[in-house]
Amino acid sequence: MKIVIIGNGPAAIAAAETIRGQDRSCEIVMLSRESVPFYSPCPLAEYVEGSVPKDHLFLRDPAFYSRSGIDIRYGRPVIRIEPQTRQVWLAGNEAVAYDQLLIASGSKAFVPPIPGLATAKGVFELKTLDDAEGILERIKTARRAVVIGSGFIGLEAVQALIRQGLDVTLLEAQAQVLPAMLDREMAAIVQQRLTAHGVQVHTGCGAERILENENGVRAVMAGGCEIPCELVICAAGVRADLSILEGSGIASNRGILVNDHMQTNVDGVFAAGDIIERPDVPEKYRVLPIWPNAVSTGRIAAWNMLGIATRHPGLEAVNVVRVFDTPIASFGTQTAEDCLRWQDGNGAVRKVLLQEGRVIGGQLIGEINGTGVLHEMMKKGIAAERFGEALAHPGFSYAHFMQPSRAVKWA
Amino acid sequence: MEKTVSKTIFTVVENCVACKSCEIACAVEHSCSKTLAGAILETPLPQRRITVEGVGAYSYPSRCQHCSDASCITACPTGAMQRDGNTDAVFSDHDRCIGCWMCVVVCPFGGVTADPVNKKALKCDRCPERTAKGEAPACVSACPTGALLFLTPEEFAAQRRQATAHAAVCGESTTKLNGMDILRSLKGAN
Repeated sequence: MKIVIIGNGPAAIAAAETIRGQDRSCEIVMLSRESVPFYSPCPLAEYVEGSVPKDHLFLRDPAFYSRSGIDIRYGRPVIRIEPQTRQVWLAGNEAVAYDQLLIASGSKAFVPPIPGLATAKGVFELKTLDDAEGILERIKTARRAVVIGSGFIGLEAVQALIRQGLDVTLLEAQAQVLPAMLDREMAAIVQQRLTAHGVQVHTGCGAERILENENGVRAVMAGGCEIPCELVICAAGVRADLSILEGSGIASNRGILVNDHMQTNVDGVFAAGDIIERPDVPEKYRVLPIWPNAVSTGRIAAWNMLGIATRHPGLEAVNVVRVFDTPIASFGTQTAEDCLRWQDGNGAVRKVLLQEGRVIGGQLIGEINGTGVLHEMMKKGIAAERFGEALAHPGFSYAHFMQPSRAVKWA
Repeated sequence: MEKTVSKTIFTVVENCVACKSCEIACAVEHSCSKTLAGAILETPLPQRRITVEGVGAYSYPSRCQHCSDASCITACPTGAMQRDGNTDAVFSDHDRCIGCWMCVVVCPFGGVTADPVNKKALKCDRCPERTAKGEAPACVSACPTGALLFLTPEEFAAQRRQATAHAAVCGESTTKLNGMDILRSLKGAN
């Protein structure tokens, strides 16, 4: 059997390793858009910051592919998929035949249609190693930077650039920072923290135009003002990269639609990672481009490609980001009937959202221990009313579930 | 070679009296000096990886369960969180950990916590230095009530079966003391 995997990220690697763990004989071909071995994109901001050395980005040793019998082909972007003939077409009119196909090509940065943004020199995304190298080269001469978008990547980029000694302006088109993770009140706390570290934060203020001179970008027009800068990082979100699906008949919406076996609507074609969309998770989290989901969906896809029927138990709907060492976690939705809150007066705030007596979301700033327990309660739909106010307290823990099973009652 | 079933830490919840001996022993074991007197003078202070959680009248020494399908390993984007090939213990490599806290927010047991000082994930590593010498992990050695045990699953099951059989034959009154009885006896001794 010949298995072709499009991609070389966490979902693709998790799948390849799972397949190899089960089946030594099948042929595995991996088609990578980039020309470097598997690396983690998550610490890229820390790499730019200088706190993570480059060799720590690579999570497998150089001999990994040959030892695992994986035919890795670098710099081969896929152009289209032809399920009728079971072939994948690459740039340069090269075809690769497959018996089973896994699409794990991931997401790409969303570049808003702002004049100059896609073309100007000195404008970067922070999605790939190439982007990070480009930024590192540019900050040798740049003093001022503008970051467009205050999502997860945007805030990490802001922090890295501040620590590299740049003056940073953060532009967010919506009325608050981290709009996909926090409500207004919690976002205000984060914004304060950013401002306290010297970041110029402009919310409700989208970039309108990139202004250039012979050295590349020289300013960003936003809200009618010119913000001078030598570096722009575009972090306006990520989108599933669906361009390769054209003409293949593979169903997609915002991502490739898969069932809980990671199967697409086309026979022999599976998908995993940032590129998928699951119809069974809450509205906001139909596309969940986070590392744990990439790895778990990659593994499930692998089992099913080998003919071992395995269901995915459900995606993780949680994310966590640090803003100048303050941890911020968010899971589920941001609005609900009831909201329990806890705060310590030192800037730590925890909110747990309930609907019909069940946890449906939460936001935690400063004190995030135990988020996993709350998130698990949401995933399992556990009745939470009996815990009352304790839910939002940092002391809320696994012990609360042990209570009925305890034999001893203290006097 | 057949892999031997390794010992792991079991918790007998009804024996816990919330004395927190395990917490201190854990922090001391993970200090530089490995002595209590030395540990309290260290900067930063060594951190514990076991927490006695209390709910009203109940207590439970909470720590990593070393899950077979560990969500923290799946979630770790830097390869820091990994499983020891010999002991099956899940541990975090501090050199690789960047403190992104993904493990903290996916662990359903609250077994991984955020170290506020070093900015690294903190979790039970099942004391590899002690177990390599054939000793029990620090928390188990320190537990005065037998709430924490270091056994193979078979040994633990056998022990529980014996206790249950003993209770069935001899009646409840002669079963092992539980946490509350231990506390009462201590009070009576004074």
